[in-house]
Amino acid sequence: MKTDIHPSRGTGRGTLFALYAVLIAYALITLMPFIWMLVTSFKEARDVFKLPPSFVPTKLFTDEPFGNYTEIWTQRDFVIFFRNSAFVSFMAAIGQVFATSLAGYAFARLDLPGKNWLFALVLVTAFVPVEVTIIPEFLIMRGLGWIDTFLPLIVPSFLVGAFGTFMLREYFGSLPKDYGDAAYVDGATPFQIFWKVYLPLAQPALVSIFVIAFINNWDELLRPLLFLNSDELKTVPLGLMSFVSQYEASWTLLMAGSVISTLPLIVIYMLTQRYVLQGFVGGGVKG
Amino acid sequence: MRSNRKVRITALIFLAPTIIGLLVFRLIPIGWSFALSFYDWKIFDTPQFVGLGNYAHIFTSPTAHKVFLNSAYFSAIYVPGSIALALVLAVLLNNGLRSSAFFRGAFFLPYITSTVAVTLAWRWIFSTKFGLLNNALDWVGVDNPPAWLADPMWALPAVALVSIWKDVGFYMILLLAGLQTIDPTLYEAARVDGAKPVQRFFKITVPMLSRSLFFVLILALVRSTQTFEITYALTNGGPNRASTTLAFYVYQNAFVEFEMGYAAALSYIMCFILGLLTLTNFYFRKRWVHED
Repeated sequence: MKTDIHPSRGTGRGTLFALYAVLIAYALITLMPFIWMLVTSFKEARDVFKLPPSFVPTKLFTDEPFGNYTEIWTQRDFVIFFRNSAFVSFMAAIGQVFATSLAGYAFARLDLPGKNWLFALVLVTAFVPVEVTIIPEFLIMRGLGWIDTFLPLIVPSFLVGAFGTFMLREYFGSLPKDYGDAAYVDGATPFQIFWKVYLPLAQPALVSIFVIAFINNWDELLRPLLFLNSDELKTVPLGLMSFVSQYEASWTLLMAGSVISTLPLIVIYMLTQRYVLQGFVGGGVKG
Repeated sequence: MRSNRKVRITALIFLAPTIIGLLVFRLIPIGWSFALSFYDWKIFDTPQFVGLGNYAHIFTSPTAHKVFLNSAYFSAIYVPGSIALALVLAVLLNNGLRSSAFFRGAFFLPYITSTVAVTLAWRWIFSTKFGLLNNALDWVGVDNPPAWLADPMWALPAVALVSIWKDVGFYMILLLAGLQTIDPTLYEAARVDGAKPVQRFFKITVPMLSRSLFFVLILALVRSTQTFEITYALTNGGPNRASTTLAFYVYQNAFVEFEMGYAAALSYIMCFILGLLTLTNFYFRKRWVHED
């Protein structure tokens, strides 16, 4: 519910002005790294180390305004990193929707002795820091011979996800029981009730789980760092970091790469803002 | 009777991925890691049982002490900083103005964008001579601004600052959701009684928001112990370990030095500290959290 009554604001024009001043100032701080990233990505390399720093995107006025982008995209193989990240994030997001819709539904709607214990275990173990589990996880992946493949980045997502399971358990639990009962009377199997009746109703929750999982996996650095070695398998964050060590001073290229790696997330966020915010607020946790 | 069995079998099939995943990627690693913490094991050698040796080593190592202090320092900046800022922003945005949606979107943006990419932008902003920050400081008349990422005194606060910048929008969204459940007539009544804005904030907003605040406090505390990407891309823990926090130290020991046993022991101490902090907060919860 929106309200016009504000806890700490009077009604005067002056306070409104002050409010806007503060908000705009902080918005500038928030957006400055993005602005600076964008400006630098459209600069000529020789203009980067000019003092005082300028906000003029000099490259835009040359005959190849997108030169930094085409260079990093084709000559430095950024297209490969981009494809890898898109593939891994997409598969992992599908995996999360798969695993958590099944689990969330079973926890909410199907009877199985001990399922509440199982649910508690899923939640409690999610609070164990990744640092504790990552070493054995690495050893397991090495034992399976999965190092330097995409499998360690995808397969776990098809198995378990505390955040999505929690969210979907709530969601399925809030849907009326009558729908399932009616379908049961008509002779539907438990699977059909899930697939035909409840799953379509959970679409908004599934979208937010998909998007949040996609964003998280796109952003992931630790696991790609541990599990991938070959250049042709690197994901975007890993590729960006390898550029840092190779061309430390090529800030124009690095910032072009950063813009490319940020853009998909901004677009996805804008398209699905409602679902994402709902998901974050409802689930409260990321990951 | 038959349908009951059918339901159970379906439930078992539905939960099979979760059970396997829980076992292979949670329970077994948690136990394995604990066992590993009693071994001296460089990944290519044979493991050697050392009992509490790793733990003893951690408690006597000056490097580990430095890392613990860094972690405490980081949390001391990050937790109050991000919560206070999130609270201010949430209160400012909870006003029904149409433009609030724009600001809310803008403040949330850092949270969902690629961490490595934005951290690299920050790295460039922090750059001593050519960076935006120091040139801005110079412009407003600050002499000899710090070298930030290259300065042992400023590297850790810089990492904390970027972390706050990245996460504050998320906490703000959670607090906004809490604010919108507060009954507006409470403010009307207080206004009629002549309460000043500051009084209204501390006597109504904070108590009514205390459940959301507690939730955000726990989240911020957990996150403050787990910073990795930003450290990796901003300072790589340097200079001279000045910005190495516990989570990053675990990573370095496990996957740079390959001291698996030592790293596992560190990770368990980290888990223990985090558990203790969380429990402490739950213990003090009733002192300030307002239940309906």
